[in-house]
Amino acid sequence: MGAEVVIGRGLTLTSPVGAASGTFGYGFEAERMGNLAGLGAIFTKGTTPDPRPGNTPPRIAEVPEGMLNSIGLQNPGVEVVAAEYAPRWRGWAPKVIVNVAGATIEDYVRVCTRLDQVAEVAGVELNISCPNIAHGLDLGVDPHAAAACTRAVRAATNKAVIVKLTPNVTDIAEIGRAVQDGGADAVSAVNTYLGLKWSRVRGTPVLPGSGMAGLSGPAIKPLALAAVARLVAALRIPVIGIGGIASADDAREFLGLGARAIQIGTANFYLPGLAASCAAELRQDGGSA
Amino acid sequence: MSPVQLPESDLSRAHDEAATCLGVDELGPDLHLLTLEAPAASRAALPGEFAQLQVAAGPLLRRPFSFCAVDPGQGTVSFYLRVYGEGTRRLAHLTPGSCLRLLGPLGRGFTLPETPGTSLLVAGGVGAAPFPHLAAQLLARGERVHWLNGAAGSAQLLPLRLMPGGLAGSVQVTFDGCSGRRGLVTDALPELLGAVDRVYACGPNPMLQAVAEMVSRLRPEALVEVSIEAPMGCGFGTCLGCSIPLLAQGVRVPGLCCRQGPVLEAGQVDWEGLRQQPAHLE
Repeated sequence: MGAEVVIGRGLTLTSPVGAASGTFGYGFEAERMGNLAGLGAIFTKGTTPDPRPGNTPPRIAEVPEGMLNSIGLQNPGVEVVAAEYAPRWRGWAPKVIVNVAGATIEDYVRVCTRLDQVAEVAGVELNISCPNIAHGLDLGVDPHAAAACTRAVRAATNKAVIVKLTPNVTDIAEIGRAVQDGGADAVSAVNTYLGLKWSRVRGTPVLPGSGMAGLSGPAIKPLALAAVARLVAALRIPVIGIGGIASADDAREFLGLGARAIQIGTANFYLPGLAASCAAELRQDGGSA
Repeated sequence: MSPVQLPESDLSRAHDEAATCLGVDELGPDLHLLTLEAPAASRAALPGEFAQLQVAAGPLLRRPFSFCAVDPGQGTVSFYLRVYGEGTRRLAHLTPGSCLRLLGPLGRGFTLPETPGTSLLVAGGVGAAPFPHLAAQLLARGERVHWLNGAAGSAQLLPLRLMPGGLAGSVQVTFDGCSGRRGLVTDALPELLGAVDRVYACGPNPMLQAVAEMVSRLRPEALVEVSIEAPMGCGFGTCLGCSIPLLAQGVRVPGLCCRQGPVLEAGQVDWEGLRQQPAHLE
């Protein structure tokens, strides 16, 4: 585990440990707090063509061993990321992979085309699975749409393309095969599970609107392991495991199952030094192997 | 996100420290003073800044609390907390010697004056939390400090003994009239604004709005800073849970309570927007 981790299309990581999109901003908070050391990659906040203010609060709720979020893809838009944030990534040890979100395939192409010109961006992770914005077309649950989106982005960039899959489908391996055929260099799985918290006091969901939100945290780890197992069995491209990892041992479970790398997500909120310490622990595994 | 930006907290000052519980004092119904040995935080914490406390074997997310009192000599920090849910209930039942992680200091605190003048500290209920530390720092700078402490009833008032000695004045107000004057802090506020240069307020968001509006009307030259509440996940700007509506040079900008706040100049808060939002994590 101490050796370089090859993701594909020239993207190699010095550690299998990454920080998951939506839990690490654009890396600047961790940089200020001294928590970037040893990470292989950071996956940025989902980035859209234009700035998005995000959803009206409340945006988060706590559930046993997990949390629900409905942030609504708050982000400054790709131009700010490319022009203002990317220069600040220069010289960073972890590779910066920009998570890309949108409502249409054209949105993904637009963002990835812009990022293709940015040297500090090591790759893109397509978030075709965000449950928190209303899609006209839900790309992540339709294999044809998922493949078409991947293919269109593949044509627009020479950078590594990772597709982040939603677990809210009947057969995640089918979607994985579709994006593999569309030219993905790797998949990452899983994004959040759809969840809802009910307020008995108010007689409404805790979070606004339908109350549907993304469930993350240790609660989803066994579900995520099952999804990753299916993908590892079905695909020839690397699988990056995500879902409830809150310790180095959790990471070892995903890697033992065949994931090429892992991402730490929700645990970054309550254990901000975990990703760095996890990377250090896994490096020792490699040294003693 | 916007060309207009408000200053943010300095995260390089935050440390994730292994703290040890020294004791929990019950100060009232569901009101507790939690004292921790946390040397790094005790040296670094400025008034109005907060810490994220881990709840061992409890809810996943940490809970944010303003530093109530700090003693760098002893290496201790205290937090005034009200039992609101599972996380605060577990913290209130910590036993001496138990360990928990403390991440802090976080957030932006109160602005301390460069030249001494007169300050009025206005508290509502458990919103009194940051004021023992703030009052001590102000007094050390030669400031005249007046204290207006309001709560629903006498049992919900922060005990005066927790405030440092040397206050220029102290007024207590309770809604039920059991202790001090009957009414709201805003009933007692006008007569206390006479020579005030600065008003610092912490309490329920609607109280803060009422205080801010009253001061801007009766004492417009005074600085008004408020410490506001929002449901918080991480405390350092990555979860985006504590979004709050702010105003920068009159323009609406989305902000984060944990980075631009929790202490803000009253004029930086979009009060009508904030009224629509919950104050606590559910």
